[in-house]
Amino acid sequence: MEQRLRSKTRALLEQGKVDWIIGFEPGSLKFTTTPLITKDKNDTDRLVINPFIVNNLANFLTQVKGRVGIVVKGCDSRSVVSLIQDNKVAREDLVILGIPCTGVIDLSKIEKLVGKDRDELNDIAREGDKVIIRVNGKKKEFPTTQTLFDNCLACELPTPQEYDILLGEPSSPIANPAAQEGIKKLKQMTPEQRWIFWEGELSRCIRCYACRNVCPACFCQRCFVEETEPQWVFPAPRWQDNLIFQITRNIHVAGRCTDCGECERACPVNIPLRSLTREMYDIVGELFQFKAGMDKDAPPLMTHYEEKEAEDFFR
Amino acid sequence: MTSKKVTKRDVIKLLNQWRQEFAVFVPSIESGVATMARWEGKDTSFLDWYRNTVIPPKANFLPPMEEMFRFRKDREGYNIELPPDGEKQLIFGIRPCDARALAIIDANFRDLYQDPYYLSRRNSAVLVGLGCTNPHDSCFCTSLGVSPGESADVDLMLTDIGDEFLLEPISAAGKELIARSRGLKEVTKDDETRAKEIKETSYNKVTRKINAEGIGAKLLAGFDDQDYWEKVAAKCISCGICTLLCPTCYCFDINDELTKQQGTRFRSWDSCAFPIYTKMPMENPRQEKWRRVRQKVCHKFGFYPTNFNVIACTGCGRCIRLCPVNWDITQVLESVPLIETKRGKASNTL
Repeated sequence: MEQRLRSKTRALLEQGKVDWIIGFEPGSLKFTTTPLITKDKNDTDRLVINPFIVNNLANFLTQVKGRVGIVVKGCDSRSVVSLIQDNKVAREDLVILGIPCTGVIDLSKIEKLVGKDRDELNDIAREGDKVIIRVNGKKKEFPTTQTLFDNCLACELPTPQEYDILLGEPSSPIANPAAQEGIKKLKQMTPEQRWIFWEGELSRCIRCYACRNVCPACFCQRCFVEETEPQWVFPAPRWQDNLIFQITRNIHVAGRCTDCGECERACPVNIPLRSLTREMYDIVGELFQFKAGMDKDAPPLMTHYEEKEAEDFFR
Repeated sequence: MTSKKVTKRDVIKLLNQWRQEFAVFVPSIESGVATMARWEGKDTSFLDWYRNTVIPPKANFLPPMEEMFRFRKDREGYNIELPPDGEKQLIFGIRPCDARALAIIDANFRDLYQDPYYLSRRNSAVLVGLGCTNPHDSCFCTSLGVSPGESADVDLMLTDIGDEFLLEPISAAGKELIARSRGLKEVTKDDETRAKEIKETSYNKVTRKINAEGIGAKLLAGFDDQDYWEKVAAKCISCGICTLLCPTCYCFDINDELTKQQGTRFRSWDSCAFPIYTKMPMENPRQEKWRRVRQKVCHKFGFYPTNFNVIACTGCGRCIRLCPVNWDITQVLESVPLIETKRGKASNTL
């Protein structure tokens, strides 16, 4: 799959079909990858596909000019489609290289399971429905249902929905309802309990805005948190203001969020942000029978209305 | 004064003694993220998991958010109410990189303007350092003159020699602290040999390196190389992680919260990674991402050394570990092009 990706992307650049390639290359730390954004065909030799391709590369589409060959997983492909729906990118400017995704390994889960930090491990390998970890000459095995990201374990569509080249056979979902227990517990709480829960979580927020900046659906030129007249949110990271930021961000990405989980992964202070975005994702599905990024020709959910819609005031 | 030692299970007694005099802070994950948190008299879990905190100890001196003063308007004019002076903190277990970081940013806060908020906390604080025995693969402190096992920037330095900590007084305050601490044991020749070995081993465990020699001049020489900076900046997402969680980044923003006749002035961490950081009514000199990335790198390795004669980086590796896209400062510094422009000449001096 990797060799095919390298030769395809090299050819795309050589034949002038794209100006840019956006993919993954090995990262500088163990078990990491890093985005590769390049015009140089020789760089394509460094492209990789492995269980550590965390980033949603659709995020970089709006920052390069010209035609782009982009590597996507299932959720990322839907982010790309969503950007097409919102007129942020044109389909004809893209060559989408789809990876039938088998899930991304959550290193935080591995650390908890093994009791060691990621840089102390010798090897992490994916073998079928198992993840094999080698540490100090010992071999440990865990099922993928315990080692992938929570959003991967709730993913219904691991194969890209929109692509020009699919780099392998379509993949099937790996579900684990237990991975969604956190969200379930939150929903069972009383509003008062939830308020206390979020006070605790959001008190840690340092307003680095990594959750917003890794998110392809957060493409505003100017975010509301940066408005000064009026000032919607106080710039200092007080938990109440952090809450307003998160709630508003969530509503703004409703109908665009594909549950790629990047907001939660990027958070340096471990705020379970996906429990907000996933809940919004499910509500969007329930209220509007809508899944983000499924059909590039469909109108975007929140900027479009129809006469048959429930709210009278739209007519 | 010579070193002393304390068994690990007696650390709790030692901290309790110190708590009579100081607000004691220890590495803690109680809040959900590793930080130097107030010690409440029991927790010693940091003995098992602690490599370094995610939130750097600069937060104990320059908090993410703090009240500068409250103000109220009445018939006579404005009344200003200042917050109480910072409490006397004892930071237990600070790593050599983070202690050096405080020494580095002291230069800024003790400059022409003496920052009363930072300095009131800093001047009354005692730092109890703890040498690293297990540095992260992202650590590169040894390239910046920091040794993971030793520190001249703390008052008291601890070395983990197995079941015990060796306590080495560094400053006068450290000597006094040892002198009035009860339950410490005498150190044997073997203990000292062992501590020395441990320090050497941990030094050699830091394998990530940069060549800091002449880096400032190299960077400033290549300052105008837009192609280079655009390439380096391409994958950066302009979030604030690498700056806000950097132990030597000290930028802050000031905001007033107003009600009718009164208000509060806050300051909070700010980051040069944000476009709004330099936004002015009609102009933004760093609207483009590559200019912001260049600013961050050049401030640490070029401008700060020019102003204060020290590189504003201690190789703690947080910016590498925590970056959502694995933007790696050590790779960037390795790839600085060797070019000469009007701005300066690449040389082997800062």
